[in-house]
Amino acid sequence: MSEEVSKKSILEKFQMNSSDAIVWTLLYTLIGIVLFILVSQIPMGYLMVDLFPFGLLPALAIIPAMGAIRGPVAGFLTGYLGTVLFDFLIYGAVVTMTLPALGYGLLGFIAGLATYDLSNGRSLIKLTILSVVGFVFTLLIIVAVGLTVESYATLVVLGFVMLPLVTSGLPTIILLTPVYARIYHLLIHSVIPRIRPE
Amino acid sequence: MSKILTTNKYFVVTFILAIILGGMTYGNLPGVEPAAPVLVVDGETFNFADYGTVTHEQVAIFNYLTTLFDQPTGDWDGWYIEPQYYGLFHYVLAFMAYSLAMYYETTPGYRTDYYSDVSSGLIEKFNTSYADYGEDSIEYMEWMYASLYLNWTEYYYPDAVNPDADDIYTGGFRGPANIMWTAHYALMELLHERNFNSAIYNDEIDYYMEDWNMSMTTDGFGNPQEGGIWETGMIPCEPYEVWTQCTCVPIYMTELYDNMYGTDYMPIWDFGLDFMNTVMQDQNGLFVDGYFVQEPIGTWFTQPTEGPQQQFPGNRLSPYRSDGKFRSRGYGVAWTLAFLEYTQPEETITDYPVFIENYGKELSGTQMYMVESMYDTGRFGTFDYLASLFTLALAKQRGDFSTRDRIANFMFEPYNKVWSADGREMHYDTSSATAFLQTSVAYAELWANTPTTMVDLADARPAAFWDYPYISAADDENVWVYRAEWDPVKEGFVLSIQVDTAATLTFSNFDSAPSAYSGGVVLSALTAAGMDYTLDLAPGTYHLVIK
Repeated sequence: MSEEVSKKSILEKFQMNSSDAIVWTLLYTLIGIVLFILVSQIPMGYLMVDLFPFGLLPALAIIPAMGAIRGPVAGFLTGYLGTVLFDFLIYGAVVTMTLPALGYGLLGFIAGLATYDLSNGRSLIKLTILSVVGFVFTLLIIVAVGLTVESYATLVVLGFVMLPLVTSGLPTIILLTPVYARIYHLLIHSVIPRIRPE
Repeated sequence: MSKILTTNKYFVVTFILAIILGGMTYGNLPGVEPAAPVLVVDGETFNFADYGTVTHEQVAIFNYLTTLFDQPTGDWDGWYIEPQYYGLFHYVLAFMAYSLAMYYETTPGYRTDYYSDVSSGLIEKFNTSYADYGEDSIEYMEWMYASLYLNWTEYYYPDAVNPDADDIYTGGFRGPANIMWTAHYALMELLHERNFNSAIYNDEIDYYMEDWNMSMTTDGFGNPQEGGIWETGMIPCEPYEVWTQCTCVPIYMTELYDNMYGTDYMPIWDFGLDFMNTVMQDQNGLFVDGYFVQEPIGTWFTQPTEGPQQQFPGNRLSPYRSDGKFRSRGYGVAWTLAFLEYTQPEETITDYPVFIENYGKELSGTQMYMVESMYDTGRFGTFDYLASLFTLALAKQRGDFSTRDRIANFMFEPYNKVWSADGREMHYDTSSATAFLQTSVAYAELWANTPTTMVDLADARPAAFWDYPYISAADDENVWVYRAEWDPVKEGFVLSIQVDTAATLTFSNFDSAPSAYSGGVVLSALTAAGMDYTLDLAPGTYHLVIK
């Protein structure tokens, strides 16, 4: 009985507990992937301060935001498939057997593990914290794949991979994830009901 | 409003911070491509997308590069040369010349002194001798500095230790065994002639062509010998060693020379090409980096402490292996494949994917780089950077724009774009890595992204080209020329130009008074000025057909 409850709660948490829920989760995932690919193509400004690139990567924050909105499966698939499809469709590349993309999937997955009230500031802070935790795992996976599977130089890992992700990715995760989540909440609960025909 | 602020404090704070951070770091955006309209003039349709185009940023980079020549020939202000780069520096000049040749070829109808002076300025700087410029000369930096410990000036072939009358001296800076200078020098001159038809370098070009002819067909004393002086059909860069990347330069030059002057020198390279394609190959079928034609003299070369010993003659062994594998280097393979594609396209087409597979390193979907050695990927240094640099042009040439763009992202993104106060010049600030890279990263933008390739440049221009109308003079400092090309079929001159302040362009070779058409209607008739015609333009951006 307790095992059944446990199974049910996991499926619920993953927003996969009914066929309707699965369809909605996949629909959200699809929207997340499309948004991720579209936003990734917008050229973004950045500033190099010595070797540190500072800036924002707006597409990156879509991943944890989608996890917060529709659960860890949607978050994982948005990060993983969004990255894989962007790499393939825009650059024709399949990077290291898609292993680095798993890191981005993990970002969405971890952010989606908790339940949030997106109208509440404290809940948004919780989302930020979990997103940062997820992003740390993203970094670890990308660095580990680079050093072991792709086997490139430590200097390259540090200077060309990790540093840009830290100095641009981390501010993005901290600042834009709660913004996206809150805007989504406003759209769903305030804007759309107002413009919906009676 | 106050309710929104009190219930959304965290949202408001992060939103404002995101805007502030975004605003503070907003820069380095990619440049915008010039518009490509379709104009119909006298029933002829001119689709501007069909003509060569340079971007605003590329013109700004060229303008920056011109500043490097606003100084006496032996001065190097702004080049940031340090002794550790002496051995590489002349390549900066050579590949800058090739990048600029691509740039000139993209707008072949714009041939004012502004372009040709930079081209000849490069050749002058490349040709600086120790006698005239001392330690500020390329002769010192490229040859004499290294000779202090590599003994290059002491070589004879085949016996460097006890030379007699049967051994030929190969140790001179301008001598037969310094193809890493002579070939680039001659090719820079020949490309200048190809692009500007000045005839000022013809004697030297002919001299080197004949010198290579003798080196490749005789023993150096006038006696016929298969494989030439070094019996490999190749010419050494350093007197004891031949390299595919160095020998491919005179081969490429010979192709262009034959195409321009109707000669038939190319067979002198048959032996060498076969040697490269059969002997100088590694286990992947890619070019080996070097082949020792004789044992180096002096103490700098040491045999491996374990595994097979280096053979003389023989392919150079990899310093990272002890199993007898040959040394291959990413930069050399990319360079050779790019330069030899015109001569043996099947080899480049076959080798290219193998090269990318073995030497490419994936950083992300948007970035990759090329490594110097497959056997030592744990380090990153100058030659990994060079491998990436050379692959930019190779990937462009092969039409693999995805790889080109990903490597370009890796090479250019770490540096801020720096624009001059007047907005005319731009370069990448590489000082966080090394200032020495500044000039190379600048011309690498042209090398990577202009639509012209080394294969394109190996073809001579048709004889009629020199009778086509072209811009022979202009207020160059006031204009940005994005397209400038005579269409010989439609008989119209296609011009895309931005004018900063009122400017005059002088056109030569028009048979009768032409008019400039904008949007299908006459903008202005050109004014006769002697044999030429001038066009006055007010500030603005124009896409014109002149006929």
